[in-house]
Amino acid sequence: MTALTERQQLAYANAQAADGRVNLEFETDEGMTLNMGPQHPATHGTLRIVLKLDGEQVISCEPIMGYMHRGYEKLVEVRTYPQVTTLVNRIDWLGSFANEVPFILAAEKLMDIEAPPRAQWIRTILFELSRISNISLFVGDMALHIGAISAAFYAFRDREYVLNQIEAATGGRFHPNFDRIGGLKDDLPKGWIADTKATMNKIRDFCDEMETLVEGNEIFQTRTRGIGVIPADVALAYGMSGANLRASGVDWDLRRDEPVGLAWNECDWNVITHPDGDSFARFWVRLQEIRESTRIVDQLLDGLPAGPIMAKVPRIIKVPEGEAWVATENPLGEMGYYVVSKGGLGPFRVKIRTASFNNIAVIPWVTRGVYVPDVVTILASLYFILGDIDR
Amino acid sequence: MEETPEAPAVDEARQAIIDKLTTELGDAVVGSHIQPGHDVWVRVTREAWRTAGLVARDQLGYRYFEYLSAIDWLPSPFGLSENSPTDALPEASTEIVTGHGGGDTRFQVIARVHSLSQKMGIHLKVDLPDDDLSITSWLPVFAGVNWHEREVHEMFGITFAGHPYLRNLYLPGEFEGHPLRKDFPLLARLVKPWPGIVDVEPMPASGDDAEAEAAEATETEEAAG
Amino acid sequence: MGLVESGKLPKPLTSLLNTSRKYSLWIFQWGLACCAIEMGAALGAPRYDVMRLGVIPLPASPRQADLVCISGTVTDKMVPAIRRLYDQMPDPKYVISMGSCANCGGPYWDSYSVTKGIDQVIPVDVYVPGCPPRPEALLEGIVLLQERIGKEDMAARWKGDPIVVS
Ligand code: SF4
Repeated sequence: MTALTERQQLAYANAQAADGRVNLEFETDEGMTLNMGPQHPATHGTLRIVLKLDGEQVISCEPIMGYMHRGYEKLVEVRTYPQVTTLVNRIDWLGSFANEVPFILAAEKLMDIEAPPRAQWIRTILFELSRISNISLFVGDMALHIGAISAAFYAFRDREYVLNQIEAATGGRFHPNFDRIGGLKDDLPKGWIADTKATMNKIRDFCDEMETLVEGNEIFQTRTRGIGVIPADVALAYGMSGANLRASGVDWDLRRDEPVGLAWNECDWNVITHPDGDSFARFWVRLQEIRESTRIVDQLLDGLPAGPIMAKVPRIIKVPEGEAWVATENPLGEMGYYVVSKGGLGPFRVKIRTASFNNIAVIPWVTRGVYVPDVVTILASLYFILGDIDR
Repeated sequence: MEETPEAPAVDEARQAIIDKLTTELGDAVVGSHIQPGHDVWVRVTREAWRTAGLVARDQLGYRYFEYLSAIDWLPSPFGLSENSPTDALPEASTEIVTGHGGGDTRFQVIARVHSLSQKMGIHLKVDLPDDDLSITSWLPVFAGVNWHEREVHEMFGITFAGHPYLRNLYLPGEFEGHPLRKDFPLLARLVKPWPGIVDVEPMPASGDDAEAEAAEATETEEAAG
Repeated sequence: MGLVESGKLPKPLTSLLNTSRKYSLWIFQWGLACCAIEMGAALGAPRYDVMRLGVIPLPASPRQADLVCISGTVTDKMVPAIRRLYDQMPDPKYVISMGSCANCGGPYWDSYSVTKGIDQVIPVDVYVPGCPPRPEALLEGIVLLQERIGKEDMAARWKGDPIVVS
C-alpha cells in the first residue's frame, strides 16, 4: 500500500473512533427519531434504519437487520455437499449463480479435484451473466430512488433477456443450482452461443441508454455528486469490497488479482475504478462494469474450449478433512466461504463471508451529518441485498 | 486450477509472515499451518489477540479486514439429523479435534485479514477456555469488526471485552440459546425426519442390477402398451 | 348499504358489485426475499404487465389496499410487522402467499428463525407454489383470486353486526 496522506490517516482514525461511539450516542435522547422500514421502498427488502435527527440532519443512524436472517450457517451443517448449493443460491438472490461458485470451488479444493476447462469457462460465462442481471437491476433501482421511474422499467425489460439466457442454459430463471462438484450439470444447449451474443449487444445498448437517461441527467448528478463520500482507508477498515471499494479509488478486483481457477484471465478486460468515492462514483463504476462483463462474455464465448463438462467424481461425495477458504468477486463484492470439513457427507462448519454485510457496516459512519434525502441516495448507491446481509 | 499448477512445497512468502509474527509476538504464537500457494493459519494466545491484529495491520500491512467468526469444535450430537425422530440419537463422540493450526479448546475465534498489495491473507485463530468465553475486542484495530463481533456474540455466546454495544443483531430479543453452537438442536429436524434422506442412499447399482431393472421396465411398458 | 348487512342482497346486484371489485384490486406488495424480485417483475415490469388484469400495484399504504401479496421468506422477527399491516387493511381483504417460503418455510423448513408458513398468522386465499414462482404463476394466482371474488356471496361474507356510526 502506498504511503498515506495525512488526510487519509485522519479519516482512518475518525472512522474507528466514530464507530465505537455511534451506538452509544444513540441511546441519548437528544433529537428526533425517525424510523425507516422494515418495509420501506428505499431499503431493498426488509432493512430497518433508525435515524436520530436534528432538524433535517442526521445525528446518528442505526441499521437494524435480522428481518431476513434464515440461519444459513446452521442449516448448511445439516446438509450434504450437493444439497448446500441449492441453499446458497438464495443468499444473494439477484446473482444466484455467483453464490454457488465459491462454495463449489472450496469443496473442490478440499477434494483436490478440478473441473475440466470447458466447465470452468461456462462457469465464468454464467457468473458474468448473473453479474449483469444483478447490476442492471441496480442501475434501474438507483435511478428509482432518486426519483426517475422509467429507468427501472428499462432495467426490468433488459434484464429479462439475460434471465432468458440463464434459463435456457440452466433451467432456472433465478436459482439455477447448476454447479456440481467437479463440473456442471449439463452442457450448453444448441444455439445458445449466438443468442447470448445477441443479448450482449442488447445489454450494451442498455448501458448507452442508461448513460444518457440517468447519468447525464442533471438532477441525478446533483443528487449524487459529493454525497456519501467514503475515503479509501475507511473502506478498507470496514472491509468493503466490490464496486464500493473500487469507487473509492482502490484498484482491487479478485477476478484479476486472485484468480481461483475460472477463466477471467484468459481474456482482455479492465478493472474500473473511480477516485471520488461518492454515490455517483459507485453508480458509474457499476454501470461500466456491466460493459466489461459483456466484453468478457463475448470473448469467452468465442474461445469456448471443447471437452467434457464433468470431472470424475465419486457418486457419493465425501470431502476429506481440512479447511479451505475461497473467495470470488461477486456482483455485490467479495464473497467467501470458509469450509471446515471433518470428512463427512456434509460440511462441519461453513462461515459465509458476504459482501453486503461488510459493505453496509459503513452506514453509521457515512450517514453522520447528511440530510435525510441523501440517506436514501447513499443506501441505494451502496447497493446491498438483504439476503446477503442477514444470511 | 491455479496459475502455477505445482505449488511450491515451501511457501516462502507465507513462511515470512509467520516468522515476522513470531518475532513480534514471541511466545504468543502457539501454532501455525501453511497450505503452500493458498493460505496460512496462525494461532495466537488469547492475551495477544489484539496485539496480533495490530501487528498484522501496521507492521505487515494487512489493512483489509475480511471477517471475524468462531468455530465450535464439539462434534455435533445430532449428526446430519437424518434419523427418524423415534430412533435414539446416534452415539456421538465428544472428542474435540481441531483443524489447521491446532487448538486445545472447544471454541476458537477465527479472523481473516488481507493485504491488497501482497495479495495474500492470513487466518488468525485463538483458543477460548470453556469457563471464560471472552476475548478483547478488535474494534480499535478494524472498525468493520463491530457487527462481526455482535454476530459472534449472538451465535456463540462469546463476549468481546471493550465492545460497547453487544446487542442481538439478527434474532428477536426473546430468542434463547446460541444457534451456532453444536449442541443447539434444530427442532424441526427432531420432530420430522429429513425428507431428502433418499439423496444419500446408494444409487441403483450399475452392471447386472441395472440391466435387470431395465428389462423389468420394458416388461412393464409392454404390459401396459 | 344496509342491504349487505341484512343479508338480502339481490343476485344481480351481488354480481355487479363482485365484478367491479375483482377488476379494481389494489395490491400491496409485501416483498421479502427472492420472490419479491419475481413479484416486481410480474407487477412492475413491462413484459408481464399486471394492470391489464385490473390490478393496480401502487397503493401508498396498506390502508388503501384490497389485496396483499406476501412474497418471500417470513422470519419470526418479521411476523409482528406483517400482522400489524394486515390489521390495518380495510375489509374485504385478500392475501396471496407467493413462494414456498411464505407457504410453508420452503428451503428453510428446518431453520430456527423462519416462520413455517404465513398462514399461521393471517388467513391466506391463494397459495402460489414455486421457488420462486414464475411471474406467470403469480398472474395465474391473481386470476384465480378474481374468479373467487366473482363467485363470492357478499351477503354471507359480511353478515354480522351492523355497522354503527357514532
Ligand atoms: S420461495 Fe424460494 S425464491 Fe421464494 S423467497 Fe423462498 S427461497 Fe426465495
